[in-house]
Amino acid sequence: MQVKLIDVTMKFNDVVAVYNLNITIESGKLVSLLGPSGCGKSTTLFLLAGLYKPNNGSIIFGDKKVNEIEPENREIGMVFQNYALYPHMSVLKNIMFPLNMQKVPKKEAEKRAKEMADLVRIGHLLARKPGQLSGGQQQRVAIARALVKQPKLLLLDEPLSNLDARLRLEMREEIRRIQQEVGITTIFVTHDQEEAMSISDQVLLLNDGQIQQYNHPQYLYNHPINIFVAKFMGNPPINILETMVDKEAKKLILTSNEQQMMIPNKLNIQTIQDEKIYLGIRPEELFITSLDEGALQGKITYVETIGRDTLIRAAIGDEPLRVIIPPDTKIKIGDLVGFGMKEDRIHIFDSTGRNISQQLT
Amino acid sequence: MNKGALSKGFIYTLLIAGSLLMLLPFLWMISTSLKPANEVMMLPPKWIPSEILWENYREAWNIAPFGRYLLNSIIVTVLSTVGELITTILAAYAFSRIQFYGRDILFSFLLGTMMVPGEVLLIPNFVTLSNLGWIDHYEALIIPWIASIFAIFLLRQYFLSIPKELTYAAKIDGCSDFRFLWSIMVPLAKPALITIALLKAIGSWNAFLWPLIVTNSKDMRTLPVGLTSFSTEAGTIYELLMAGSTMIILPMIILYLFLQKYIIEGISRSGIKG
Amino acid sequence: MNVHPTLKSTLKALLYLSPALMIIGVFNIYPIIKSFAMSFYSDYDYFNDVVYERGLDNFIYIMKDADFWLAMKNTFIFVIGVVPLSIIISLGIALLLNTNIYLRGFFRTIFFIPFVTSVVAVSIVWRWVFHTDYGLLNYFLGFFGVDPISWLTDPAWAMPSLIILSVWKGLGYNIIIFLAGLQNINKQYYLAAKVDGATAFYRFIHITIPLLSPTTFFISIVSIINSFKVFDEVFALFDRRPGPVNSALTVVYYIFDKFYVEWEFGIASAAAYVLFIVIFLFTLIQLYIGKRNVHY
Repeated sequence: MQVKLIDVTMKFNDVVAVYNLNITIESGKLVSLLGPSGCGKSTTLFLLAGLYKPNNGSIIFGDKKVNEIEPENREIGMVFQNYALYPHMSVLKNIMFPLNMQKVPKKEAEKRAKEMADLVRIGHLLARKPGQLSGGQQQRVAIARALVKQPKLLLLDEPLSNLDARLRLEMREEIRRIQQEVGITTIFVTHDQEEAMSISDQVLLLNDGQIQQYNHPQYLYNHPINIFVAKFMGNPPINILETMVDKEAKKLILTSNEQQMMIPNKLNIQTIQDEKIYLGIRPEELFITSLDEGALQGKITYVETIGRDTLIRAAIGDEPLRVIIPPDTKIKIGDLVGFGMKEDRIHIFDSTGRNISQQLT
Repeated sequence: MNKGALSKGFIYTLLIAGSLLMLLPFLWMISTSLKPANEVMMLPPKWIPSEILWENYREAWNIAPFGRYLLNSIIVTVLSTVGELITTILAAYAFSRIQFYGRDILFSFLLGTMMVPGEVLLIPNFVTLSNLGWIDHYEALIIPWIASIFAIFLLRQYFLSIPKELTYAAKIDGCSDFRFLWSIMVPLAKPALITIALLKAIGSWNAFLWPLIVTNSKDMRTLPVGLTSFSTEAGTIYELLMAGSTMIILPMIILYLFLQKYIIEGISRSGIKG
Repeated sequence: MNVHPTLKSTLKALLYLSPALMIIGVFNIYPIIKSFAMSFYSDYDYFNDVVYERGLDNFIYIMKDADFWLAMKNTFIFVIGVVPLSIIISLGIALLLNTNIYLRGFFRTIFFIPFVTSVVAVSIVWRWVFHTDYGLLNYFLGFFGVDPISWLTDPAWAMPSLIILSVWKGLGYNIIIFLAGLQNINKQYYLAAKVDGATAFYRFIHITIPLLSPTTFFISIVSIINSFKVFDEVFALFDRRPGPVNSALTVVYYIFDKFYVEWEFGIASAAAYVLFIVIFLFTLIQLYIGKRNVHY
């Protein structure tokens, strides 16, 4: 089922939680609502569920406007952060609950609940109470309960944030597997960009109740529309350098320590209108060179090897710079080195933070 | 000599002495209630009667209609407890799960009225009940007591501690408000409900001033009222008086011993909130 | 489900609230107002519910009534006798129970038993314990060479008897609440103080007492309010009399007497309102003192 939000706005008293949201979610896709806490992603999900009613705008499921339709009639399933399993009912009773509400005959309800339990691989736990299950198992029960009535839309509210790191990876893959097996349109709320990148067909990045960017996850990573998106996607985060544009000398000058920077070849400096721009360079797109060959010069302040990568931090004057280098690089704290950058991977943002790389090349 | 052991011994001595002070009146009551008349007034007192005389209970039962009193007490206790549970569950649900105009004002207003001592309400309530023609009827003993602001407050607090997501989940699962209340909230709030029911049952069983005022005939008296009139009649026949007292006191002690966890938890919670 | 109240949700809430509100409205809220009005009925025909005259007569009457002042005096003596004694003893027992001992639950259970029992029934039991010739209390006091005391018939001893009974009855409730308060104190304070070398006595004075002050405050308010309303004990202990020569006449007994024995509804209402105001003022004073001295 296709889901559309048109001009949707939601206020709590005077606080605007979601402002003028316009998106279309295609049938059968898994879309992540991503953003920092308080960005409006959970509110958006609750609006879709019908638990909140928008102050303005339309919510359209398929070709039907559902604003006034109560949650129980929206044909949705939902999984909550704390799972919200009924603690006094067995796993089987929990999964059967939505069917009982629809007055499905008991035999059929039990059969469908068991099938669903097998799909999420908890068929052996049916007699237990939620309190006797691990976090991952509770999560599976919650998914089964959400899916058992064959909804047209599945809503997941930070479903992985109560799990430990290893389980989170496992459940992430499970959710993707189940979603693809069932082929249901799914909306997944998370604050974790890595989670969103790994699981979704599309990512909707929100901040302060407004859409920042809505596209494939890799597209957001490669073509962030503004500094917020660039900073939010990727870990370790992107380096942002504030520079002044000196059109006569054809130089960029770092604001923090007045170090001059070589201008990337592709950049036509004359087309820049602002006096000040921001350069965004991801840590993996920087590399170490000799002092005079580098676009930047800095002193190594920190070296950390994690698994297959070595992360270093360097000080360009006062400005910190994060760089990922091959682990066999000979380097130590205090070394003065040059840094080169893969020029076609540099993002340029104007003084308001908008990405202007496209216009400049 | 170990200083710790010495102070431990001191603590135990104090606690045991204190416990005896608490228990002795009850033991004394039971002992007296089973004694033959000639062993009641004796010095030094005789703790174990030479023969256990269950007769005293039958005799007390014969002199005053204790059977009827007991029946009345049971009817009043059960009905007012059940009634209070129902009104409390419904009201606490509204206060904890429904957004409505004036909710907070109404709730604070109700809490505020708890300040007024019950004695102030006594006289107008008596007039109201006599206008309704309920004096000396079960209605007068039960109806005014089937709603309690304190109980609503207690249950509302408990309901608030149940995650909101359960309400949402049930809503999405297609569960109506009313059904959600009875099939999810009520089972989950069982500990709080048991506490409320027990405190109510104890209060109702032991209530005195109110049943004294709204009953006239012997047939409508509850146990405590019956006991005081019996005490005026039986005067100094202490073995019979103690038998009557035991009939009132023992059921509540037994109820308490079995369900003390709920009573103590409920009371502890009300104290911390205060 | 909604975040904002609507007309529909308000109607629904009223439906859920209606049983409770009907009862509370008729038997709790209406009588508060009615009672206030009745206290000004100086000439009232209860049988036909007709008021012939309104005025301050009732208040003037009780202000001039020696019995009312005696009842006030006795009630104050009772409150002053019961509240501090009960708080000190129950705090002591709660502290003992809060140490690392066996059978803690068992002791707690025993101390709480009197609380669940009928005031009337235990008062009659205590009537027997207080018996001058054959009562348990005089028997035990005899071991210490104390001559038999006429607990319930000597006007000088009637009030002490009432106080002993009430302290005994209410101890368990206070102990439970003190224990809950003590368990609420974070153990790390004690560990930190111990590391700093504070003695047990110092820890008690500087950690337990201040951190327990909200609990003590709550208990003292509840005990004072309840003590002002003492009635059942008097009625049962002295067998339907307010003690020998009115020595245990309390305010609620006075109200009961005017209302139920003399059928003076106006006077009884006025006395009830005066009691309410006294309790209210006491609570306000306590709240004021509490604000300055309770450490939250």
